[in-house]
Amino acid sequence: MPSCTIDGIKVEFRDGDNLVEAAKRAGISVPVFCYHPGLSVVAQCRMCAVDVEKMPKIQTACSTKAVEGMVVSTKTDRVKQARESVMEFLLVNHPLDCPICDKSGECDLQDHSYDHGSAYQRSTEERRTYVDLDMGPVIKKNMNRCIHCTRCIRFGDEVANIREMVAIHRGNNVDITTVDGKALETDYAGNYADICPTGSLTLKDFRFNKRVWYLKKTPTVCEGCSRGCNMEIHEERNQIYRCLPRENMEINRYWLCDEGRFNYKYIHHPDRVLSPQVQEGNSWAKKDWFETMASWKSGFRSKDAVFLVGTDLTQEELQLILHFAKSEMGGVPVFHFGTPNLPAANGDGDSDGLLKRKSKTSNLHGAEKLGIAPFQTLPAGKTQVVVFRGGRAELPRLDRSLKVTGFGVFLQEEIGQFSAVFPGASFAEKTGTVVNFQGKEQTLVRAILPVGESKLLSEALMLWKNQSLASGAA
Amino acid sequence: MLIKKKQGLLQPYYLLEIISGLWITLRKMLFDKKVTIQFPEERRVYSDRYRGMHYIKAVNGVENCTACMLCPTVCPAECIHIEAGERSDKEKYPIKFEIDVLRCCFCGMCEEACPKDAIKLSSIYEMSQADRTVFDKGFLLDQRGNK
Repeated sequence: MPSCTIDGIKVEFRDGDNLVEAAKRAGISVPVFCYHPGLSVVAQCRMCAVDVEKMPKIQTACSTKAVEGMVVSTKTDRVKQARESVMEFLLVNHPLDCPICDKSGECDLQDHSYDHGSAYQRSTEERRTYVDLDMGPVIKKNMNRCIHCTRCIRFGDEVANIREMVAIHRGNNVDITTVDGKALETDYAGNYADICPTGSLTLKDFRFNKRVWYLKKTPTVCEGCSRGCNMEIHEERNQIYRCLPRENMEINRYWLCDEGRFNYKYIHHPDRVLSPQVQEGNSWAKKDWFETMASWKSGFRSKDAVFLVGTDLTQEELQLILHFAKSEMGGVPVFHFGTPNLPAANGDGDSDGLLKRKSKTSNLHGAEKLGIAPFQTLPAGKTQVVVFRGGRAELPRLDRSLKVTGFGVFLQEEIGQFSAVFPGASFAEKTGTVVNFQGKEQTLVRAILPVGESKLLSEALMLWKNQSLASGAA
Repeated sequence: MLIKKKQGLLQPYYLLEIISGLWITLRKMLFDKKVTIQFPEERRVYSDRYRGMHYIKAVNGVENCTACMLCPTVCPAECIHIEAGERSDKEKYPIKFEIDVLRCCFCGMCEEACPKDAIKLSSIYEMSQADRTVFDKGFLLDQRGNK
């Protein structure tokens, strides 16, 4: 690999790396605003200025390719002065509303101002202000905070394949807005808030919910579709506040779709079934686990039963159910369900040419790997169905005469025809493995403890088994 | 080895000691300046820098607080609980602002951290109450301290 010298450190870089990336390899961070590794280079913020030997003027690191033998310095006096000047210019019109801004704590402008800016402001003029238009349900715009880095414009153009953000007017009066002031249309709008280096574009959903420094971050995998985008769950005191994408160049690069980003909502949904319930007549009775399991068990006959497993369960859970059905229940048939009209993994494909896949559950490919057949029709003579579901798989239509029991995450309105429900853990409440469409095995990591009286599937099955041992049946 | 001191005639009765001790009491009572005050009627003047009861500063009826959460962040006793919200005349304001006074250690770091000069500690020190231990937003806004 070719090498260059940055701040006296010899750095090996890959051909085509620019100086920001090369410096990152040496552990030197060059401050950037307009540069984003997933977007094209425009070199317009001038914050990444570095000194390159034998070049008369300072260069922008993002638009300068690293070359064999290059000697670069990021700490010379004129670099420092250039950065301080850039910061001063940017802050001339930036409002001092960090206490209000949701970005503060993870704001590039804040960090770089602290590291590279001056502590004093010389300008006394009034700041430039804008009137903001609504940008749809996902993003809240505050143009006063904007530093015109145009990352959002480039994101729409290059990644989301929709040219909806534009810069109108010139120079000092530039206004970054949507075309004709329309609401954002893309399904990837949440990324606008992620890439914005200031608090100009923020998530409406997260607005004023929590200051970012309180959040605990758990690296996990999205369960929205079979792509398995890497993401981070941000949580405090067992409450999930948001999900952000995590870089993985082979799967989702830097992005996350809105469906996956807001998928966690059902975990804290007020209608989620959080304690074991039995349907008595037309009403639901909430009971404790032991009691419900004992009474439900007495009506369960394994020779009449079928297990339906959602393809949103992890490999470990599927394996456990297969084992349980075979060894403990004496060969109960197991079928998988998940996305309607998509029974097999070979029907899975790109649904929008970017991230989303046709299979709306995370582990269809894993279930197929374990040899579970898709659910089409109930085998003859079966009258009882036990549904295991992680929370996202779409429930199949079942005949109303069947006796249906659910293990897993359900909303109250979904369980109309069920006779009993045992609450389980969603993707954020358990650890396990899912297999994405490329066959990559990725790990879900538990971010929060199971909400309410929900139990992990292993615990629930253990209870089932011990109950049966105690009563001597099945 | 135990050494026995020889005692005088009056010493075993401690009479002199009792009298000299009582004399101190009598002297303090009759001749010295009193240290107690008649509390509810008379009050001590504390230094302006005394850290007593909290209050939220308001200008023209609008609270200074923008719910930036710096005071609960810095609070070592974790006694401040804030919920942020939005309303038409103020982009961000505290819907809920509660101070659990029994947990508070009156260190004054909240006052120091506040970028808006909103939370303050007055020099009011009488905070014993029969029931309420949590100062809510309405109460904190009503207080003007004595500053």
